[in-house]
Amino acid sequence: MRLGAYAALAFVAVVLDATVAPEVEILGARPDLLVLVVVYGSLALGSRPATIGGFLMGLVVDTELPEYLGLHAFALAVVGFLSAGIWEHLVRSNVFVQCGVLLVATMLHDGIYYLVYYRNHLDMYTSFLARYGLLGGLYTAALGALVFGLARARGWRAIAGDRSP
Amino acid sequence: MAFHLTRLLRGNRDLSTFLTCAAVSFVLLALPPAAKETAGRALSGVVLGPFKRLTTAAIETAQVREENAALRRIAAELMNERNALIEHRQENERLRELLRVLVTFPEEESFELLPARVIGMPGGRVIERMEIDRGAEHGARAGMAVVTPEGLVGKVVTVHPTRALVEPLANASSAVSVVTERGRVRGVLKPRYHAASELTTWQIDYVPARSDVEPGDRVITSGLGGVVPAGLSVGTVTSVEDGPLTMEVDVRLNVDFSKVEHVFVITGTRSGPRPLTDMEEKLLREIEKLSEEEHE
Repeated sequence: MRLGAYAALAFVAVVLDATVAPEVEILGARPDLLVLVVVYGSLALGSRPATIGGFLMGLVVDTELPEYLGLHAFALAVVGFLSAGIWEHLVRSNVFVQCGVLLVATMLHDGIYYLVYYRNHLDMYTSFLARYGLLGGLYTAALGALVFGLARARGWRAIAGDRSP
Repeated sequence: MAFHLTRLLRGNRDLSTFLTCAAVSFVLLALPPAAKETAGRALSGVVLGPFKRLTTAAIETAQVREENAALRRIAAELMNERNALIEHRQENERLRELLRVLVTFPEEESFELLPARVIGMPGGRVIERMEIDRGAEHGARAGMAVVTPEGLVGKVVTVHPTRALVEPLANASSAVSVVTERGRVRGVLKPRYHAASELTTWQIDYVPARSDVEPGDRVITSGLGGVVPAGLSVGTVTSVEDGPLTMEVDVRLNVDFSKVEHVFVITGTRSGPRPLTDMEEKLLREIEKLSEEEHE
């Protein structure tokens, strides 16, 4: 994946996340397209593009709720940095591994965000994380499986290829 | 300590990138609310605003289309229901009229009436046959007269178990013995089909010249031949032309065959008025009440 394509994809993800994602909610949970892009960005391009991409995407999303400007940016930067690091130790061509990473990454992102957002209401934090974080993570992981299938079909080795350690 | 940290960061660009991003994030989080608000709104309006407006418009358009399709479907269903209701109302009026006749048919000579619905009209421009939904199982027999509240329709010619064919007066071979009500002049009513105008008219044949017949005279069945009972209304004399031996008497029938939907088969007669059943008396009262309400 080229950097330009990654930037375009990130931009599209930000727009879709702000506009279309609420329309495809299931049980109140929505897919985290930003995490999806950041995680696959880290898989295809490595740590720095994923971290910077996550940070910038998060920053744009933060403008929707300026009170927490920087929070999404930080959470997605963490996701980009850690997911890039963890790929080095996993079999990347396995769909279940990819889905698992997406699930954990989504919950990590939500965990950081909700921790600050509900810092004074930890009981709500746990219930929100358990419900929307987990459901959103599963939703995102399911989309990840689709991306994996598409990558396999189109021969995108950076995402689907076996480059296990 | 600072030296080691600097070396670590220089050696690990990924980590330094992440830490930079994290630091900027914390700085942003620590900004005064007003500054965050201003920056956030400016950035949001520039970056996401146009796309959000576009997407919202697209989603709303899709919703309006769905809603429009649903409303069209509902409108079509309502239109069908409305048509069905109109049809039912008209049928209800016809049935009410038939019921009135069924209950109050000639008191002095009561008929056993078998209500039937016209289910087919085989034939071309001239109605040669009518198919009704009552047959031998219901008591219909060949030769029985068929009437409507307006008057005579014809007679049953073919009977099947659950349906029958009626030969209407419009049939070319139809011939019914009739009499004028006022002058008691007898004759045989027959149809005349005019190919040029594609119209059927009716004439009374065998009327002797200078008989007492005038336009406007009511024509009823004579009962001769024993097939059709006497006294059934048939039509009205429209024109009379006297000749050397016979008269040409044109008649306009009471029944419009093309509009007949319900008929009665006269399955028998009885002397004296037929006693009404409780249900018929109740129906009659209801009909009279409805008629009074309509007049008011």
